[in-house]
Amino acid sequence: MILSLFLGLLMGVGLPGVLAQSSNCEDIEVGVDRPLNLVYIPQENPEKLIGDITEISSYLEGELGIPVEGFVALDHAAAVEALGNCSADVSFMGGLPYVMAHELVGAEVILGEVYRGNEIYYGRIFVLADSDIETIEDLEGRSIAFADPISESGYLYPLDIFVQAGLLDAEDDPQEFFSSVYFAGGYQQAVEAVINGFVDAAGANQYVTLSLQPQQLEEIRWIAESDPIPSHNVIVRQGLDEELVEDFTEAMLQLNEPEFQYLLQYVFSPDGYVRVSDDAYDGVREIAVRYGFLEEDVLDEANEDDATEDTDD
Amino acid sequence: MSDIHIKGNRSRRLFVMGTILVLLGITVYITRAHIVPEQPLHPVSGAYLRSTFYLNLGPQINWGLIEQEYSSEITEEGYAFVTVYEALEPIEGIFDVELIIPIQEAIHNQDATAFFDATTRANSLATRYYIRLAETRLDQPGAALNDVQTAQQVYRAFGQDFISSVDPEAFRQLGFAWLNMTNSVGNSGLGGAGSTATNPDQFMEAKTIIEDYLITNFENGGYVIDTAVGQRFAPIPMSVGEVTIPLWTPPGMNLNDQDPLPLLRLNFEAQGFEESDIPLVAYGDMLFDSPEIFGDPARSMGITCSTCHNRSDINQAFFIPGVSHQPGAADVDGAFFNPYFNDQRFDSLDIPTLRGLRFTGPYGRDGRFASLREFTRNVIINEFAGEEPTEFMLDALVAYMLEFDFQPNSYLNPNGTLTDLASDSAVRGEVIFNTEYDSMMDGMSCASCHTPGSHFADGNQWDIGSSDNYSHPNAYENFFDTPTLLNVVYTAPYFHDGSLDTLEDVVNWKNEQFEMNLTDQELTDLVEYVTTIGAADEPYEIFDEENTLFRLAWAELTTFATTLGSQHIPQQDAYHAILLIDTIAPDFRADASGLQNYDDAWMVFEVADKLDEIKTAIEQGDWELAQTLYDEYEALVEEYGPQLR
Repeated sequence: MILSLFLGLLMGVGLPGVLAQSSNCEDIEVGVDRPLNLVYIPQENPEKLIGDITEISSYLEGELGIPVEGFVALDHAAAVEALGNCSADVSFMGGLPYVMAHELVGAEVILGEVYRGNEIYYGRIFVLADSDIETIEDLEGRSIAFADPISESGYLYPLDIFVQAGLLDAEDDPQEFFSSVYFAGGYQQAVEAVINGFVDAAGANQYVTLSLQPQQLEEIRWIAESDPIPSHNVIVRQGLDEELVEDFTEAMLQLNEPEFQYLLQYVFSPDGYVRVSDDAYDGVREIAVRYGFLEEDVLDEANEDDATEDTDD
Repeated sequence: MSDIHIKGNRSRRLFVMGTILVLLGITVYITRAHIVPEQPLHPVSGAYLRSTFYLNLGPQINWGLIEQEYSSEITEEGYAFVTVYEALEPIEGIFDVELIIPIQEAIHNQDATAFFDATTRANSLATRYYIRLAETRLDQPGAALNDVQTAQQVYRAFGQDFISSVDPEAFRQLGFAWLNMTNSVGNSGLGGAGSTATNPDQFMEAKTIIEDYLITNFENGGYVIDTAVGQRFAPIPMSVGEVTIPLWTPPGMNLNDQDPLPLLRLNFEAQGFEESDIPLVAYGDMLFDSPEIFGDPARSMGITCSTCHNRSDINQAFFIPGVSHQPGAADVDGAFFNPYFNDQRFDSLDIPTLRGLRFTGPYGRDGRFASLREFTRNVIINEFAGEEPTEFMLDALVAYMLEFDFQPNSYLNPNGTLTDLASDSAVRGEVIFNTEYDSMMDGMSCASCHTPGSHFADGNQWDIGSSDNYSHPNAYENFFDTPTLLNVVYTAPYFHDGSLDTLEDVVNWKNEQFEMNLTDQELTDLVEYVTTIGAADEPYEIFDEENTLFRLAWAELTTFATTLGSQHIPQQDAYHAILLIDTIAPDFRADASGLQNYDDAWMVFEVADKLDEIKTAIEQGDWELAQTLYDEYEALVEEYGPQLR
C-alpha cells in the first residue's frame, strides 16, 4: 500500500543532522510529476484518531484540480524530513515544531487554526481538585507529567511558568525543582496521570478538558497559566509553487464557510482557519531559543526579516 | 480577527458506564458523561471489541459481520498491514502460536465461545508483541515510542472499560506501568533538540507488570456469562471472579449530531409564538431530548428521540456497529436495545425524517401505525425498553412532534406546483413526473404516489420492488410507506434501507425498474425536478459568534425548565418535575463543554446544581422551598445567560 511505502521512506529519519533541504526540490512539478502530498502527524493529537484523510484530499482535488494524497508520518521529525526532501508539501503542526521546521528545512506557515473563537491558547498546570497544592511554589519536590518534549503547550510553555516565577532557570534540569518529570505521550495521558495519583501535577494544553469525562473534570483544577501560544497551523515546504500555495490557502479558508465546515473534522477539528505569517511565531521562537531548541542567532534573523517586511509595507 | 463561522457539531452526552447485568439479576448504575473523542484503538483491538459486541447480539449471531472484521481491509490510517489477520501474522511468529486458524475455525464452526477465547488471547499477545518490538529499539531515544503507544492501543480493549471497572487497583498499577514505559523509551526530539534518554530498567520493570497481568488474565480463555437472553461475552480479567459487567459500546460508534445540524422549524414559532407559552409542547420538546423515557442500554448511552431525528430531521452520522448496517440507520427491534423485542431479523432501516410529521401518517417505514401516539408508545416501550409513559407524556410528545414543519422552499408553491424561480429543466422534469406509464404499476405516474398537492405523498404503502426479501412469491412483506419528497435533498441516502445514495440513483433505478425508457436529457430533467421540489431555503442551522452551539443548547434547556415554574411546582407534580430535572440538569453540565470559554462553565454548573436542589426539595415534599429555589434558578439564568457564549 502506498502509505506503507511512504512510511518506509520516513521510518529511518528523525536522526539529528539528517534534516536538510533536498537539492532537487525545484524540479518537482506538483500535480504533474506527483500529487500534492499532505502529511499528518499522530502526535499532534494523540488523544484522537486521525479521521478519514481521504475526505480532505478529495475536497482539495476538486478545488485545486490536481491529485492530492494524505499520509501519516511516524512523528514530527519524519514529517519535517518529508517537507525537507520534498516528498511532502503540506503539514499540520504546533508552533514549536513549526519554528524548528522553518529553521531546519525552510518551511513556511500559511494558516493558523481558530479554536473556540481564538487564534491563541494556553498551557496550564493541573492538579487534583482536593490537593493541598495551591501555587506552583507548592510543587517543589513534587512530581509532574508533561505531554511531549516537542510540544509548546504540553511542555515548554508550562515549564516556562516556573522559570518566569524564578523557581527554575531555563538551562536547569527540571528535575532540580521537581522530584520527577514524566513525558506521558499526550495531554490527556499527562492529566490522567494526575487523576490516577501517579504524579502531583501535569502541564498540558488548556483544551485537554475536552478529552476528559465529566467526573474527571470535577477531579482536577488548574493553578497557573502560561503566556498565550499561537494556535496550531498549516505549513508548506520551501519552494512549493506560489500560485499553488495561494490556491491551497484559499481552498482551506473556504472550510470556514458553513457548507464546508463538516470537513474540518478531518483536519484536527478547528473552528476554522485564518491567514498567519511567520512573525506570529516569534514568541515561540524566543522560547525555543531559551530552552536550547534553536540557536540564538535565529532571533536576529527573524528580527531582520520582520524589519524587511515592515519596510516593504 | 477574521469572520469565522463556528462549526455546528453539537455534542450530546454519552453515558459511558452503566451496568446491564450481573451473574444473577439486573442492576443498573448509571454514570453520565459528555461525548469525548474516542481514544484510539489498534485495528486488532477494534476488531476484537466489535466482534465481541456482535456475539452479544445473539442468539442470531451475524457471523458474516464478524468475519469481515478480521478479513476486510482496515479503514484506519497509518498501518502497514491490510487486514487484521495480516496484523496477527508476525505475532504468531514471535510467540510460536497459532492465532489465525483458531479464529477462522471458530467462525466456520460458528462457535462463539471458541471465537471469544481465541480473539481474547490474540489481543493479549498483540499487546505483548508491540512491547517486545519496543524492547528491541531501546538503544535509540524515542525509537520505541510508537511501539509503546501502539501496544497501549491494543491493551485499551481490556483496560478502558473493563479492568478499570472490575479491578480498579490493577488498573491503577497497570496505568502507572504504562506511564513508566512511555517515559522510559525517551524521545528523539527534532533536529537534535528536545531529545530525552531511554531508561531500560524502567522499561523492563513496567513490562513485567503488564505482561504478568495479561498472561494471567487473558490468555487462558475468556469471560462468558449465561443470561436469560443468551450468552454474554466481555474482556473481563479471569482472576477477579464474579463481577458486574459494565455496559459497554463498540468502538466506531457515533452518537454525535449530524454536521451540518438540520434547522428545526416549529409551526408555532414560525407564527410568532414562544414555546414557553405552550407548556405541553415545551414538555414534549424536553421528552424528545430525554434518555429518561427509555430503558437501558439506550438510557445509559444518552440516546434520545433527537439522537436519530436531529432537530426533527435525520442524523446521517448515527452509527452503532452491529446495530446499524450503515451510517444513518439502525435496527430498533434487534437484540441490543431490547432483547425481549428482538424480532430475530437483522433489518436495520434508514432513519426517516420527521419534518411535516402531521402530514405524513401512517407511521413506520411500512406504515404499521396509523396513530402517532401508538407509534410513539411503541418506540418508548418496545423498541427502547422504557417504562410505560404517562398519558401526559404521550400527549406532550405528540403535541410537540405535530409542530414539526417542512422547511419552506421558494421554488415550490404550497399546492405542489413550481414557482417562476424553477429552471426550464425542472419544468420539463415536472411533465415527466406527472406522465403515466403503462409499465409503471399498470399506468401510474411518479405523481400518483408522490402527490404534488398532498406534500408529495399519498399515505399508502406500495411494493415497488425495492426489496427482494420475500418469504413467499405472493407475500406482502415488502410494502413500504410512500415517503414525502419535500426537503428530500437533505435526507440521503434513499429508500427504506438507504440503499441508494443520491436522487440521481433513485431516478435511474425507477427508470429501469418501471421501464420508463427516459433519454439522458429526460433523466437529467427529472433529477432536476426532484431536486427542485426537495430543496429548502434554509436547511441547516447556521452558527456564528452570537448563535453558538452552546447558546442553542442553553435556549432549549432554559425553555424546558419553564414548565417547572408554570406547571409542575404549582401543581405539585413530582413525577414529571423530577423527570424533567433528571433530563436537563445533566444536559446543562454536558453542554457546558461547548462553551467558547470553558472557564465560564462554573456558571452553568451552578444553574445545574440549583435544579438538583429543587429536585431534592420536591423529593422531600417541600413545595414551598421548591418554589423559592426555582425563583433563585430563574435569577441565575437571567444573570448568567447573557454572559455565556
